[in-house]
Amino acid sequence: MSETMTPAPPAAPAPPAARPTNRVVEALWLLVPYAVSVLLAFVVGGLIILAIGRDPMAAFESVLTTSFNTRFGTVETLHKWVPILLCAYAFAIPLATGKFNIGAEGQLLVGATGGVALGILWSDLPTIVLLPCVLIAGALGGALWSGIAAFLMVKFNVNEILSTVVLNFISFQLIDYVASHVWPDRGAGHPATVRVGDGALLPGIGEAPPFHSGVLITLVLVVAIAVFMRRTPTGFELRAVGANLRAAQVHGIKTSRLAGAGLVVGGAVAGLAGAIEVAGVHGKMLEGMQSNFLILGIIVGLMSRGSMLALPVVAFGIAVLEVGAGSMQRTAQVPVEMVLIIEALILLFLLLSDIVRAKIRGQ
Amino acid sequence: MTEQQPPRLEMRGVVKTFGPVVALDSVDLEVGRNEVHGLLGGNGAGKTTLMNVLYGLYRPNAGEVLLDGAPVSIGSPRDAIDAGVGMVHQTFLQVDNYTVTENIVLGTDVSGPLRLDLGEARERIRELSTRFGLTVDPDAVVEELPVGVRQRVEILKALYRGARLLILDEPTTNLTPQEVDDLFGSMRAMVDDGMSVVLITHKIRETLSVCDRMTVMRDGRRVETIERADTDADHLAQVMVGGSADPGDLIDATALGAVDAEEVETVVSSVREEIGVTAQGLVVVNDQGHELIRGFDLDIREGEIVGIAGVAGNGQVELAEALAGVRPVRSGSVQVGGRSMCGLPTAAWLDHGVAYVPEDRHRDGILPTASITENLVLGSQRSPRIRKHGLIDWGAAKQRAVDAIEQFSVRANGPGTPAGDLSGGNIQRVILARAFAHQPRMLILHNPTRGLDLGSTRFVYEQVRAATAAGCAVLLISEDLDEVIALSDRVIALYQGSQAGEWPHGSVDAYEVGRSMTGLGEARV
Repeated sequence: MSETMTPAPPAAPAPPAARPTNRVVEALWLLVPYAVSVLLAFVVGGLIILAIGRDPMAAFESVLTTSFNTRFGTVETLHKWVPILLCAYAFAIPLATGKFNIGAEGQLLVGATGGVALGILWSDLPTIVLLPCVLIAGALGGALWSGIAAFLMVKFNVNEILSTVVLNFISFQLIDYVASHVWPDRGAGHPATVRVGDGALLPGIGEAPPFHSGVLITLVLVVAIAVFMRRTPTGFELRAVGANLRAAQVHGIKTSRLAGAGLVVGGAVAGLAGAIEVAGVHGKMLEGMQSNFLILGIIVGLMSRGSMLALPVVAFGIAVLEVGAGSMQRTAQVPVEMVLIIEALILLFLLLSDIVRAKIRGQ
Repeated sequence: MTEQQPPRLEMRGVVKTFGPVVALDSVDLEVGRNEVHGLLGGNGAGKTTLMNVLYGLYRPNAGEVLLDGAPVSIGSPRDAIDAGVGMVHQTFLQVDNYTVTENIVLGTDVSGPLRLDLGEARERIRELSTRFGLTVDPDAVVEELPVGVRQRVEILKALYRGARLLILDEPTTNLTPQEVDDLFGSMRAMVDDGMSVVLITHKIRETLSVCDRMTVMRDGRRVETIERADTDADHLAQVMVGGSADPGDLIDATALGAVDAEEVETVVSSVREEIGVTAQGLVVVNDQGHELIRGFDLDIREGEIVGIAGVAGNGQVELAEALAGVRPVRSGSVQVGGRSMCGLPTAAWLDHGVAYVPEDRHRDGILPTASITENLVLGSQRSPRIRKHGLIDWGAAKQRAVDAIEQFSVRANGPGTPAGDLSGGNIQRVILARAFAHQPRMLILHNPTRGLDLGSTRFVYEQVRAATAAGCAVLLISEDLDEVIALSDRVIALYQGSQAGEWPHGSVDAYEVGRSMTGLGEARV
């Protein structure tokens, strides 16, 4: 039987030579649909802008250049990038195990509540102590919130889409209560808490207007998550569960516990986003601070198709559009919602490209 | 007397492509009247595709079809049935809670839309079933019937619709030897009655025992059409595999089903004294909570192959998963290499050297979107062999994947190829490479060669033998009786979750095993 194990003679050098072109082709198959989808979305968006009697070129110019023309635009873009990206992680990490976390905004708000609570209660503490406490409280708050959904899912098989969505609604009531009854700022004219102590604020970086150091924390997180998903056994198991639940089970992975863990980690990241919003942008908690980060996070997560490396890049692109939206309204009188339409169109065309690609390549 | 009657079926120059793949390359086929015609070839040879074209399931790109000398255009199975062509597929489309009669008349014009009188239909079915020896009770509910009888229902369905040409696609796959004999008898009766039958198969022995003529296909082309009288097993094997294989090789020949299993000499047995695996009083339930394994005892020595023969659905999946540590047992014990394993998590079984090659390769065996490298790591991601400083060492894993691709002859562009893009045979090679990567103590194989081509089948057998030579205890669960008998040192028949007989290698009577598999055996151990 030993003959069967004899290694074949050294292979001809042909395969290694063929590989780079292969890789280029594969990369093109991956990137071209993105480019085409963005282009088509802008074309269709432009037609809509024409239809409402505005100038599409002027609109697009302000959408695409605001982030880069002024320091203020750049800072604003980075500040949007942080919560969009973190909410995208909150969606994408559980999605790696095949679970849909539609509760990033609830997790963000509960995280913000945790952060703001410590920031107010311990407002006399110095930054070196208080700021880490605020951020950790944010992450724990988010983890707690998604943890409820994870517990229900693992123990009682409750669908995580339902539970995370419903928990969003509860979180709205929670922050309303905190902002109007626990630490209300009566003078704000809008449900908001009083400001946190100075020690809870993220230090600014660079000349005025500075961007907050949450941007750096996020950058570190980007690297950490990429390494976690790619190199750690747990990250590998998360991906395995998402790729094929049965096969993962057969090969010794405890799938339901892992799916629950993915949801908790996602919630923690969204909670951190809430704390960073408090400590870096608002200095307090206010109603509506979740903006539309949930939906943007989902859009970014879906556009990235499970690639943890693509997430930060796509999130940046979306942040640019979001920041440009305001100036587009001012300069071209096109309503800000136009940007959301374009984002949705990009996603639609991208999904459509899957079908087109399959057709072209022949199944 | 010499008046030339046109053949029942003529297919000329049939071409069928799927995207860039040419599945049928200008194929001709002629089937005479009163003839059982074998359509023979390995996996992917194009046999089923050709018949699906005839049955109207695929539209050919080119070519023509003549029935009884007249050109016909068949665009759907409906057209095919109207033209007198019937086909029995490998999987049956039956309504489980209907009776045999109801299933057979379903979709035909029975009386008016409001009045359903099945009396007449029942009589016809009774008449057809006696005439062709297709014994079946017209009033039985289909879900209570065994596979062999359900197949008869399917054949009766075609006959009821007036088929003159009947296509059977690998009909013997799930039958016991007795049922195969019955089926072949019925086929004979049909052609004696003026019908024609096309038998799609990859088993040479079957074609030799029942066909009048056979057409051999390879790579989407017709290689040759041969009269039964002019050929024998060796010759057919040679035609089937082309010049590339050595039909004298015994393993090869059994893979083809060309040789009676008993003729296989005892291949140098590697069975050792030490017991490798012991299972006692195993009781295992399925996902619905039904007991499918009821008190199963098993000893496998190191280096021994124990084969489990049985008709699908008699507890094979549950037995395999219980012994692989994937499914918890309700009661009983399992010892592997002297260590009691029950109650331990699946990962502990893997660590202890239990390797499982599951039946459903796509569902249970691979991560389709992940690369070959990642698939090979699956299951050992926490092992120190894979990790460096706590993190998975992908560089080393990739190198091992390159080696495995070479050693197991996986046809892939490289270690980065997604496993889902590979063919069935190559997926099985990846799964085997993973199973053999860490010197398994115990190997559980479930239908390891189903759907594989000849080369891959032979490869699997070689690997199994290599594993036993290294002292691995092997449990081979297969619905292919020939495979079980040829490979195993001991054969155990499984019927309704219990052992229904046991035979040592060399004294296995396929018919006796067949009886035991269906609960009719006397040999209880």
